[in-house]
Amino acid sequence: MAVEVVIPALGLTVEKGTILKWIKREGDSVSKGESLYEVEADKVTTEVESPASGILKKILIPEGVEVPILTPVAVIADAKEQLPEKYVCAAVGPKQEDTRDALQCVSTHAPRHGAATILTSGPGEIKAPPAARKMAKERGVDLSSIKGSGPGGSILLKDVESFVATGAQGGPRVLATPTARKLAEREGIPISAVKGTGISARVMKADVLEAKTAPKAAETKPVSRYQLGQVIPMNSMRKVIAKRMAQSNFTAPHIYFFNDVDMEKLVTLREEVVADFEKNEGVRISMNDLIIKAVALSLQEYPLLNAMVSGEEIRIFPEINVGLAVAMDDGLIVPAIPRADELGLGEIARLRADLVDRARQGKLTLEEMERGTFTVSSLAQFDITFFTAILNPPQSGILTLGKMEERPVVKDGQVVVRKMMRQGVSVDHRIVDGAVAAQFLQGLKKKLENPYYTFLSR
Amino acid sequence: MRELTFREAVVEALDIAMGKDPRIFLLGEDIGYYGGLFQATQGLLQKYGEDRVMDSPISETAILGAGIGSAIVGMRPIVEIMNIDFLPVCLDQLVNQAAKMRYMFGGQCKIPLVVRTTCGAGRGGAAHHAQATHAAYMHFPGLKIVVAGTPHDVKGLLFTAIEDENPVLFIEDKMMYNMKGEVPEGYYTVPFGKAAIRHEGKDVTVVATMRMTHKALTVAKEMEEKGIGVEVIDPRTLCPLDEETLINSFKKTGKMVIVDEGHRVGNFGSEVASIIAEKAVDYIQAPILKVTAPQVPVPYSPVLEKEVYIPNEEMIRKAIDKVMEYA
Repeated sequence: MAVEVVIPALGLTVEKGTILKWIKREGDSVSKGESLYEVEADKVTTEVESPASGILKKILIPEGVEVPILTPVAVIADAKEQLPEKYVCAAVGPKQEDTRDALQCVSTHAPRHGAATILTSGPGEIKAPPAARKMAKERGVDLSSIKGSGPGGSILLKDVESFVATGAQGGPRVLATPTARKLAEREGIPISAVKGTGISARVMKADVLEAKTAPKAAETKPVSRYQLGQVIPMNSMRKVIAKRMAQSNFTAPHIYFFNDVDMEKLVTLREEVVADFEKNEGVRISMNDLIIKAVALSLQEYPLLNAMVSGEEIRIFPEINVGLAVAMDDGLIVPAIPRADELGLGEIARLRADLVDRARQGKLTLEEMERGTFTVSSLAQFDITFFTAILNPPQSGILTLGKMEERPVVKDGQVVVRKMMRQGVSVDHRIVDGAVAAQFLQGLKKKLENPYYTFLSR
Repeated sequence: MRELTFREAVVEALDIAMGKDPRIFLLGEDIGYYGGLFQATQGLLQKYGEDRVMDSPISETAILGAGIGSAIVGMRPIVEIMNIDFLPVCLDQLVNQAAKMRYMFGGQCKIPLVVRTTCGAGRGGAAHHAQATHAAYMHFPGLKIVVAGTPHDVKGLLFTAIEDENPVLFIEDKMMYNMKGEVPEGYYTVPFGKAAIRHEGKDVTVVATMRMTHKALTVAKEMEEKGIGVEVIDPRTLCPLDEETLINSFKKTGKMVIVDEGHRVGNFGSEVASIIAEKAVDYIQAPILKVTAPQVPVPYSPVLEKEVYIPNEEMIRKAIDKVMEYA
C-alpha cells in the first residue's frame, strides 16, 4: 500500500514549507521514523521522518520548491508495488512565481538525479536594457540598488534617471575625473568611499591612490554592511518578520503602558546568588532570567496576557512559555522557555543560554519558536530609556525593557540615587483592557522590587 | 498636386525614361500586348513598338540572361519578372552573374540592368504568387534593392534605378498598384539610400516597408492621440540602406518595431535589429520587435491570408504597446 509523505503542519501559523534537501533518494529503502528530507518553514529547518517503511518510490517535489503544508511530497511503497498512475507525473504545481515551469513531468524511468530542474533567476541577475546599463555606468550607479519598473522587473532608463535625479536614494552623485573613476574601478575601490580633494570635492587620481595605500583608515570607521540606495531581497526570516509584524500591527489594536522599576534589590539578589548558581549548577544567572521568572509568575495572576484571539473566542494558553526576543545579524527570533512559571532559576538560565545560543546559530526547532505565549523584549544593553513593541502574534502581551541606570528618585522625602529601569507592556486591546494591563505592570513592578518574597513565596 | 495611382506612376516613369533614352527597352512575360499582369506597362508597346517592348517566352532565365547580355553591350534593359516568387528560377543569372560580373571582371563591364518585379500577398496568390522575399536578396553583394512605398517614390526611384550603372532589383508591392498619391509631372529622381520619415515621433521608431508603411502610419496617427509619438520610417531602398536615419531616430526613441511582410526568419527587420545592436547598443531601451509574416508558406485561404499572414494594424499596435512597456 503506497503511503504519501506530506509536509507536516509545522506550527500554528505556518502555511508553507520549502524542501531544502532530500536526505533519501528515489529507490532508497527507508524505515519508519528515519529522516527523509529537510523542510524550511518560517525561520526554522526541520527534518521530517518517514511515516512508513518501504521504498522511497517517487519524489514528487524537488529540492528548493515551496509548497503548502500537507502537500504530498513523496510516495513510499513496497518494492514490488506498482505506483498508481497519479504519481507517475507529478501534478503538484508550486504556486510561487519563480518556480513556474519548474516541475516537469518526469517519467519513473528518468535518472533520479536532477530529473526535475528548477529554473529560477539567480540572485545576482539584473535585467536592464543596454541604455539603462550605460547610464548607470556613466553616473556611477550600481544597478543592483535600483528597483526596475519594467516588464519582469527590468530596470528601465527612466528608473536609472529617477534614481539619479532623486539622489536621496542613491546619495549625491560622486564627482570624479574619468582617470580617477577608471583607477578606482581597476583597484576595486568604490568611488563613493574616496574623499575628493578637487574642486567641489571632485575625486582626483591622487585621491584614489591615497585611498588605495591607506585602506586601514577606511576600515577603522564603523561601516554599515548596507549601502544607501541598496535594494536587499528579503530572506525567509525577514519575510516572516515582515509578514507577522504587519499582521500583528494591523489586526491587534495595541495599547502601551510604562512604569519605572527600582531594580536595586533585584541587582543585589542576583549578585548574591550568581556565584553559587555558577558553582553548583554551571549556569550564570542573568537579570533577564530573574525577570522572565517574575513575568511568568505575574502571568499566572493575569492570564489574559497569556492568551490569543481565535475567531470570537479568547483562548488562554494552557502553559506559560516566556519567549525572549533575540537579535540576529539580519533579523529577530523569539525562542521560548517552556513553563517558566514552574521552573527554577537555574533551569531557566540553562534553557535561556542554550536557546539564545542556538538561535544565533539558526538551529532552533520550530517548536521552540512557536511555543511562546508571552514575549520579553529587552534593549537594556542599549542606551534606550523605553520603547514600544509590536505583539508577537498570536500572543496578547509583550514586555519591553529599557536600560537600567542610576537616577535620582525621591524616597521618603529624600532624593536618593537608585538603579532604575523603565518597563513597558504592549497588549492586544481585543483581550486586555487598560486596567488589567496596568495591574499586570504594577504587579510585575512589585515582584521585581521585592524579589525575595517573589522568589520565595512559591 | 495631381494624384496618380502607383501603377500610373510606374507607367509614367517608364514612358518618360523611354522617351528620353533610346537604349532603354522592356522585356518580360505579357508586358507588351497585355500591358503586364498588373498593367504596369500599359500602352507602352503601342507607343514604342515591339522592338522596345518585348513579350518574352515564359523563361525567367532567358529574360534575365538577355537583360544582362544587352546591358553589358550598352543597352539599358528593364526586365520584368512577374512575381518575385519566380526570381529563384533565374537566381543564378541575378545573384551570381548580374550582381558579380563587374567585380569579377575587374570593372571591364558594367550591368546597368533594372529587374522589375512584384511582391506581396492579399489576392489569394498563395505560396507561389504572393511572397515578399525581398530580404533574401539583400544577402547578395552587388544588387541594389528598391522597395518603393508611395506613387511619388516609385516614379522617382525608377528614374534613379534606370540611370544607375549597376543592377537594381526594383520591387513593387502588388497590393499598392491602385494606391493613389501625389505625383509630380515630368522627370524627377528620388535618391537611393535615403529613407523617408513619414511621421515624426519621439517614443518609438517604426521602420516599415512598402504598404506596411501605410499600416504603420495609421497606427502612428492613432497612437498620437494617446500621446505616444511613433516615428515611421520608410527606408525606400534596402540596399543601400539609410542606416544613419534609422540610427538617429533610434537614438531619439530607444525603441524600435520593424514591420515587413517578409517571412520572420532572415527578415529585413532582422538586419535592421542587427545594425541597431551593433551601432546603437547604448541606446537600446527595449526589445527590438519585428512584425512580419509568419515562417510559413503564404496560405491560399483568404481568411488565413488576411487575418493571420499579412501583418496588420492590430499586430503593429500590439508590438508598439509591448515596447512601450519599457518606456
